Amino acid sequence: MKKKLLSTLLSAAMVISVLTGCQANTATDSSAVTTDTQAETETETTVEPASETEATGEKVKITLFTGKIETIDVMNEIINEFNQSQDRIEVVQEYQKDASSVIKIKFAADDAPDIMTTYEQEYVDAGKYMDLSDDTALWERLYPSMKESCTDITSGKQYRICTNMTTAGFFYNKEMFTELGIEQFPDNWTDFVSMLELIKTEKPEVTPWFIFGSEAWHLGHLIEFIPHGYLKSTLGTVEAKKAMLENNKELLGFGKEDGAMSVFAANLLELQSKNLINEDVLTATSDNCIQDFVNGKAAMLSNGMWVISSILEANPDMQDKIGFAAYPSYMPDSSPVVLSAEDSGYSISATTSHKEECIEFLQFLFNAENQKKYSDVAGAPSAFMDVTADWAPEAIVTEVNVALSSAANIGFTNEKPAGFSGDDAGRLVQELLAGQYSATEFAAEYEALWDAGME
Amino acid sequence: MKKEKIGLHTFMAIPAFLLYCIFFIYPLCRGIGMSLTDWNGIGEASFVGLQNFIDFFSDKRALTDVKTTLLFALGSAPLLNLVGLGYALLMNSKFKGKSIARMFIYMPAIISPLIMGYIWYLLLQPGRGFIYYALEDIGKGYLFGNWLGSYWSSMIVLVLVNVWQYAGMTMVIYLAGLQSIPEELYESAKIDGATGIASFRYITLPLLVPAIRINVVTNIIGSLSVFDIVMSLTGGGPGYQTETLSIYIMRMCYGNKTGYSTAVAMIMFLIILIPVLISLRLTKTKEELS
Repeated sequence: MKKKLLSTLLSAAMVISVLTGCQANTATDSSAVTTDTQAETETETTVEPASETEATGEKVKITLFTGKIETIDVMNEIINEFNQSQDRIEVVQEYQKDASSVIKIKFAADDAPDIMTTYEQEYVDAGKYMDLSDDTALWERLYPSMKESCTDITSGKQYRICTNMTTAGFFYNKEMFTELGIEQFPDNWTDFVSMLELIKTEKPEVTPWFIFGSEAWHLGHLIEFIPHGYLKSTLGTVEAKKAMLENNKELLGFGKEDGAMSVFAANLLELQSKNLINEDVLTATSDNCIQDFVNGKAAMLSNGMWVISSILEANPDMQDKIGFAAYPSYMPDSSPVVLSAEDSGYSISATTSHKEECIEFLQFLFNAENQKKYSDVAGAPSAFMDVTADWAPEAIVTEVNVALSSAANIGFTNEKPAGFSGDDAGRLVQELLAGQYSATEFAAEYEALWDAGME
Repeated sequence: MKKEKIGLHTFMAIPAFLLYCIFFIYPLCRGIGMSLTDWNGIGEASFVGLQNFIDFFSDKRALTDVKTTLLFALGSAPLLNLVGLGYALLMNSKFKGKSIARMFIYMPAIISPLIMGYIWYLLLQPGRGFIYYALEDIGKGYLFGNWLGSYWSSMIVLVLVNVWQYAGMTMVIYLAGLQSIPEELYESAKIDGATGIASFRYITLPLLVPAIRINVVTNIIGSLSVFDIVMSLTGGGPGYQTETLSIYIMRMCYGNKTGYSTAVAMIMFLIILIPVLISLRLTKTKEELS
């Protein structure tokens, strides 16, 4: 009897201690939710900056969520300066390598960070971001095209602010081109192939065009810049975005036998069959690409401005040898295209209970001095008209400006279906290069996957 | 009627049972519920009944992934047991340097499979990997191919790397089983004129059944739920060719098909459960059967 009583008491004690731990968390969460709800109800039309900190004397903590590894240090520097400049707000940077996946978990768990650099159309449609359209003082400092790039087509509002611009195109070895007598980078596909063949003939040990196909995002970018680039340059940015959002098959024509997607695939297969791209295209990484480029084993690569710092880190002597060119036209009615898109965007969570504090921090982040610092490190030109940054060596800046002025400027495809990401498209290109599809089969499969993703 | 006394030990199991409910039963029930919805991970979920399960069986990519997963398991699980048993028999014999050999065989098992995949990726890169340069130095560079660039060679590489990594773990369990077999049995058999093979067949194998059961079950579960090594070595590529079911589930979950991915996870649970139950049935001893 005594044993039974003792065992019952001991077990009850253990169970109670386990449940007490859970109960404490629940109580805390409930009170936080209540506070937030009250705050939202009361402050829709009035501003209550730092009312919480003034009342409690404690600092407000806000989280900046990012997936950009290359800017962690400079952001920490700016954040530390901000934190030390006042005693009401503490900003904490949270970096996640797979930010686009982690943010989804955070949304699902109602644990959205206050400020985030991840931005997707599906999250805009789901109301996850705060409307930033009314901050006219800020938008007036940015290039007008940047506001247009940041505008959501469906609602006409802005849910993020992008502080930088980025470009993407072909980076090529100027010294090698001069040696081979190539005076100008071709602006059409036929001449482009002839140029690659010349490189292959004269320099058999050099890969004319290095594609790091093991990284699906890179192949996905080729689709965004080349066949999607054709659509954006011929339809116009806004009409192309609308066509993608509405899945206008007539305008998009992804599955057409002579459409942009099929011709793109056929061209890629042609290059592969002629050994004008690297043999190990399916297993090569971006590190392999950079190493071969700086060692003179690859004549050119496709990438964005973000690759410059890696190239110069691998070989600082390359800074005067890097040429930049637009993607050549490849359809009968197309023109060369170059990516000129928004970069480094910041959104505020629609559910944050520290709206004013977030805006205060962003205003500090966006001041000219901090933006110059950021742009220099990020290697991307600033989107603010009052910021002049040394984002790249002068030779490269000149090359980029020439490409931007001579080719149609296109943006990223932010209107991809939620269930068919750039990585998914890239994997489809891997299958193409692995011999799983012909060009027309590839185009048909791409359209099928796009349609399925739209559903 | 026989009444079972509820002792102290029964009550002491309650907290563990509670934890089991919180971390297994509850998520399982929530998962089953989620698998019946079209939840995309961020919006509202609507009940769709068994539609997710129906969609799975009409998805060509999903069925290909099942095939890939089963092929990997068919290659990996038996090899793990054969190689592990071979290692164990070797380690159970007497030779110099046995301890060091055992350590080297077991060491890969303590390395994260993700890291192991990256290491082998660096070794196997065509024209750049360490193995290529080693072969090139002895004039045999032409033997090295793009083994990660096509379906069958990638699958063979994945199976071999997986076996190389975990054979040590299998060896440890078999070795424990071997060392628990009384030496007198072998002596008696020798006196009766039994050959080495006969001793192995009629003494070693039957007494090793518990160890075989553990290894077969764990290897089946591990092989069918493989994720890390495939993700790091091939990324499921080229394209989707070496994509396994667990990678498919992950991609569907983050590809706005969270409800569907949960349904696939339920199906994967059944795919693993069936061979495990079959293995347990086949490895039951006569005493257990009676």
